Amino acid sequence: MTEVSRAALVLRGLVKSFDGKIAVAGVDLDVPTGSFYGLLGPNGAGKTTSLSMAVGLLRPTEGRAWVLGHDVWADPVEAKRRLGVLPDGVRLFERLSGPELLAYHGLLRGMAPDVVDQRSRELLDVLGLADAGRTLVVDYSAGMRKKIGLACALLHAPRLLVLDEPFEAVDPVSGALIRDILHRYVDGGGTVIFSSHVMELVEKLCTHVAILAEGRIKAVGTLDEVRGGRDLEDVFVKVVGGRVATGQELSWL
Amino acid sequence: MSVAAPGAAAGPEAAATPVRPVRVTVFVGLKLRMMGYRLRSGPRLLVGFIFGAIAGLCLAITGFSLFLLSGAVGHDAGLTVAGLVGAVLTVGWLLLPLLFFGVDDTLDPARFALFPLRRRTLTLGLLAGALVGIPGLATALALVGLAIAGGLRAGVAGAVVGVLGAILALLVCVTVSGAVTSALAGLLRTRRVRDLAAVMLAVLAASIGPLNLLLSSTLANATLTPALRLARVLGWTPLSAGFMAPYDVADGRPLLAVARLAIVAGTVVLLLGWWSSTMESAMVGASAGPVVRATRGGAVGALVPRILGALRPGPFTAIVAQELRYWSRDARRRAGLISITVGGAVVPVVLRLLPAHNGGRGAAPLPLAVLFSSLTGAAMLANQFGFDGSAYSAHLLAMVPGRVDLRARVAAISIVMLPVISAIVVVVGLLSGDAADVASTLGVVFAAYGTSTGSASVLSVLAPFPVPNTSNVFASAGGTGAAKGMLAFVGMIASAAIASPVLIAALLLPAALSWIVLPLGVAWGLGAALVATYTMGDVLDRRGPELLAEVSAAP
Repeated sequence: MTEVSRAALVLRGLVKSFDGKIAVAGVDLDVPTGSFYGLLGPNGAGKTTSLSMAVGLLRPTEGRAWVLGHDVWADPVEAKRRLGVLPDGVRLFERLSGPELLAYHGLLRGMAPDVVDQRSRELLDVLGLADAGRTLVVDYSAGMRKKIGLACALLHAPRLLVLDEPFEAVDPVSGALIRDILHRYVDGGGTVIFSSHVMELVEKLCTHVAILAEGRIKAVGTLDEVRGGRDLEDVFVKVVGGRVATGQELSWL
Repeated sequence: MSVAAPGAAAGPEAAATPVRPVRVTVFVGLKLRMMGYRLRSGPRLLVGFIFGAIAGLCLAITGFSLFLLSGAVGHDAGLTVAGLVGAVLTVGWLLLPLLFFGVDDTLDPARFALFPLRRRTLTLGLLAGALVGIPGLATALALVGLAIAGGLRAGVAGAVVGVLGAILALLVCVTVSGAVTSALAGLLRTRRVRDLAAVMLAVLAASIGPLNLLLSSTLANATLTPALRLARVLGWTPLSAGFMAPYDVADGRPLLAVARLAIVAGTVVLLLGWWSSTMESAMVGASAGPVVRATRGGAVGALVPRILGALRPGPFTAIVAQELRYWSRDARRRAGLISITVGGAVVPVVLRLLPAHNGGRGAAPLPLAVLFSSLTGAAMLANQFGFDGSAYSAHLLAMVPGRVDLRARVAAISIVMLPVISAIVVVVGLLSGDAADVASTLGVVFAAYGTSTGSASVLSVLAPFPVPNTSNVFASAGGTGAAKGMLAFVGMIASAAIASPVLIAALLLPAALSWIVLPLGVAWGLGAALVATYTMGDVLDRRGPELLAEVSAAP
């Protein structure tokens, strides 16, 4: 499997069913190394489920996943060492302060304490979290939580970043900052895949796009391939098959 | 909130189309419907509801019998019982929202912030809605006893005054809790205050035992006079005026009864006014930001406390440090620690110290008396992953070996609990004159504590359940959580059985050899903990993702 070893993330036939209800119905994906990959989909399309299976947090009913050539489920130690994850809707150890949380993640991964100290300081400074001092993460705002989550994902310098809704509830300034950090990361040879349902963001950031709906990949390729000269939003709505115009109803509005 | 009152859901057309006024019955219907949904949404909530209903029924029957009793016993005794029980009931309603804030948010005023409702309508609606819940119905049932007692005491007139008093007392209860919630809503929403409330509740619950002991020993040689005097004073306050009114009728002073009822009715009106005036701020729910304190030193230094400085920094140290922080910072865990510590101190006192002072009749041997304390010491680990919830994903992503994870958690709670348990043994042993048995008892305690950490580790990996992420300790009661929580007791019994050889050795060995129990117990406990974490570590490595799914299920 040469494409498995060359790509940063490869998913093959990922299926997940909960009590017989199918959430993800066979996802295949190739995320090339050095790409900025956007996973688009409406709410409930299976984005979080797919990404959780890809990073080893949720056992797939069927299918496999490889991170830089290492099988996530058969060889998790090697795969997870190269992987940084920002899960969505997942609690952090939020009764630690920002620096404590970073130190916790660093030590859990077996990093040297002086490296943890130095990187934590830089990350907190760059992300504007140094001012928060000893405030516990539980008292952080939504945007600050995303940023400290991102810092935890970046701390061990992974080669692949998997981010679930990294821009949700983030203010424009923090959003621009996160975008800049991710751009630098990709320029430096890293790979990013993130899920979103904000078209403008994906159009602005991504080199590659996949559209996920009803647990299946509906469209996939480079941004230009998927767009085909049209607006990404039009393509998305057409592919997903939602209703965009109203008829005779709501005439009283 | 999709279930909206038809008239309340008025949109932009409100000006054009006439809107039906919102009736109070809408709120009652809403509350009933939400209770119905809750019952249908799964067995977990159903079981919780049934537990709540049974608890409510028990309290209702207790209150009913006490009030009924007040009508059957002598005049002064009845007056005292009715007055004091009534005051306790009212104070209970006053404290209830402070402890339970956010548990029953079906009718949280903030939920209605967007509806164009008049404050009067909303206040009366919330009042009616509160009456429909389990606490409201239980109180109403208990107060039926008061009406009957009034009848027993002073015939038809007494019954009428009793019914009026009961209704007004119920209204005082409900309005006082609503008004206090509303007035303090902003404060109650802040995390620190809620954490504090949870701890207070734990202390309160844990001190019921000691208070009970104290009370019964006081009652044994006390007369009725001071209690009667207290009841007479309380009878002129809103706390128990409504409960005492029937006695005025019985004494042939109906005007006094009317005066008392007027006090209560006036209180209800005042409370309703206060409630409705604070409603607005409760809907907005503003809270001040946290105080920022600067950090000193590096991140690792911030996480790892100095007492762990000797350990090599790594996953084990990190988890011990994190757990230590959580035992003091997470209100649920802190509350548990406090209850276990208080309970662990009270049980040996009751089993050993009190009988020893009464001439030694029925006193349990020291090792038996403190066995419970050591078994419960580690029982909180039985759902240690439930406390983490989905945050456990960080361990999964970092590939923390299961053995390291389990052992670090055992080490962290042992740093807290072992000194506490040892102190209990030494203090109780010295006070009850068993100084010679302290060494062997410590052996038993260490053995039982070790086996208890072992069984808790097993349970925590095999039967984890999600714990709601609120600081309210009662929010976790009910459902599969309660059923699996029962396993912790099974685990404690199993631990006792596994540690029993050490206990038997302590009880049977001649005094000259009893020192041997101490090293034996330490080895026994350590061995049990190591074996359990060794085997369960492997299981944890295999079923990490499944465990994550089980503990992060949305409550």
